[in-house]
Amino acid sequence: MSVQLTVEQTVFLQGPLSMNVGAVGRDGWPCVCRAQGVMVARDRRALTVLLSASRGRAVIDALDAGSGITLVVSRPSTHATLQLKASAATRATTGAAQRACSARCVAAFADELKGLGYGAGLEQALAALLPTDDLVALRFAPEIVFDQTPGPDAGRVLARA
Amino acid sequence: MNLSLESLRPCLDGAIPAVVATSAQDGTPNVAYASQVHYVDAEHVALSYQFFSKTRENVLAHPYAQVQVVEPGSFRHFRLKLHYMRTETAGPLFEYMKAQLAGIAAQTHMDKVFVLRGADIYRVLDIESVDPHIPPASPPSDALLSLRRTLDRLGDTTDLSDLADRGLAALTSGFGIRHALLLMLDEAGAALYALGSLGYPDSGIGAEVKVGEGLIGVAARERIPIRINYRTGDYAYQTAMRATHATEPRIPLPVLANPHSRIAVPLIHGGRLLGVLYAESEHDAFFSHADEDALVVYARHLAALVAQAACEPDDAEPAHDEPAARPTGTPLAVRYFAADHSVFIDNDYLIKGVAGSILWMLLNEHAHNGRHDFCNRELRRDPRLPLPDFGDNLETRLILLQRRLAERCPTIALEKTGRGRFRLNIGRPLQLSA
Repeated sequence: MSVQLTVEQTVFLQGPLSMNVGAVGRDGWPCVCRAQGVMVARDRRALTVLLSASRGRAVIDALDAGSGITLVVSRPSTHATLQLKASAATRATTGAAQRACSARCVAAFADELKGLGYGAGLEQALAALLPTDDLVALRFAPEIVFDQTPGPDAGRVLARA
Repeated sequence: MNLSLESLRPCLDGAIPAVVATSAQDGTPNVAYASQVHYVDAEHVALSYQFFSKTRENVLAHPYAQVQVVEPGSFRHFRLKLHYMRTETAGPLFEYMKAQLAGIAAQTHMDKVFVLRGADIYRVLDIESVDPHIPPASPPSDALLSLRRTLDRLGDTTDLSDLADRGLAALTSGFGIRHALLLMLDEAGAALYALGSLGYPDSGIGAEVKVGEGLIGVAARERIPIRINYRTGDYAYQTAMRATHATEPRIPLPVLANPHSRIAVPLIHGGRLLGVLYAESEHDAFFSHADEDALVVYARHLAALVAQAACEPDDAEPAHDEPAARPTGTPLAVRYFAADHSVFIDNDYLIKGVAGSILWMLLNEHAHNGRHDFCNRELRRDPRLPLPDFGDNLETRLILLQRRLAERCPTIALEKTGRGRFRLNIGRPLQLSA
């Protein structure tokens, strides 16, 4: 069973976000990689998260080996943060739509950071850092959603399958 | 581990949030933002523990984590494999992180949320460069060169007064520092008083900070440098100043109302805390890790010079009291309160404590015995003065007194006539009352 994301959560996931995916390798080591795009399925019960194959090698290997997945997304200007977890993720196809999604998400993230005074030249720097030419798409159906906004309530369960 | 942790220090200033990945006992991954990844030494970092979070629950059960940090400027990512060792809830590292967290929290408008409960210490087992093809950020200014320029400018001096002035002025040419204070520890070791200042409308000479109060006081108590790179209300002195009892005479510390960057570095020599060097800036992230290193070295050099100056022997020739013209004009009303040795001139607060008692003794000697010329040796032996054994404190108190008089009451002046000798010059008749 999976959680159906709320409309608000879906809108949030389409905003300018800092995204990170975590997994645990077969050796027990946790690993993390910055994600560079997320797409929500039409029924709001699954997500596809986009990673660079070269930057996220350890996370992708761990997921391929059957690790659970966690996605943390945070809006820099408000610190509003969600964490979504599932017991598994599967590879999905990548194509023009995924590349366009990644480019849009990275640009929106850069724009958000620019507004926070992180300096000029950010779009180019992030585009160089997070290119769309070696994307891997990972699809998962969230089983639990947490509010991870910093503070004493961080970790509150918002929805559980 | 080919990359050194030192080379990653720019990533560990809290400018860009880090994330930490952990694993629950059942292998479920967790990723959370880390408010602070603090450089401890070449092999260890500390993460701030603010709440009992999933991260904490996980590392207590399964002590392995991966932290992803980002270099400001280039946005290059690095991943550190960590092994949780222990949590510290007091002591120098905890206090440093608490102060620095206050700065990070204020920068991210999370002041009410971020309160440090502990410093979780991790050993760094491996460092991975995620983006080796991205050029590094332009290097910060060369702190070693800054230090060399500052030392060149400081030069050699064994005169404490000169040292206080040049020691601060040299910071401008070396580090671009425009606002700084030199504070010395008092005789009881309970407070620090400003002996010199740089770049403030009011000099604040004589202003006191209790040990443990604010950034300067915590740096003194813990004997550690503390650097805050963002504006924060915590550790500010303005609030403390306002909270002071209105009846208690006090010289305001002349610090900036809203500094964006601050650093306090203790002056330590021979295991003894002598004072604190404090600098601040209106700009965010003004002081780098390397600047902190360089200023620690500079403060040690200053402390050695202060200690050396205190050991210089006084001039040997006897003091000769030359007759001075009898002052004329309206008498100055000088009032002394023995309880705190405070001295008021024409009802305006001048000074208190040891410096106040020295002034009162000098003025009485002048009024009753007509003396002008004095030497440090007789002051050290005078039972009326609450002086400890340390000669350097007497010298710094005299400099403090000389400077306060020059600022607030130039009619009374202390003129140096030799090493360990000075003359009291009085321009108007005195009316002493206690």
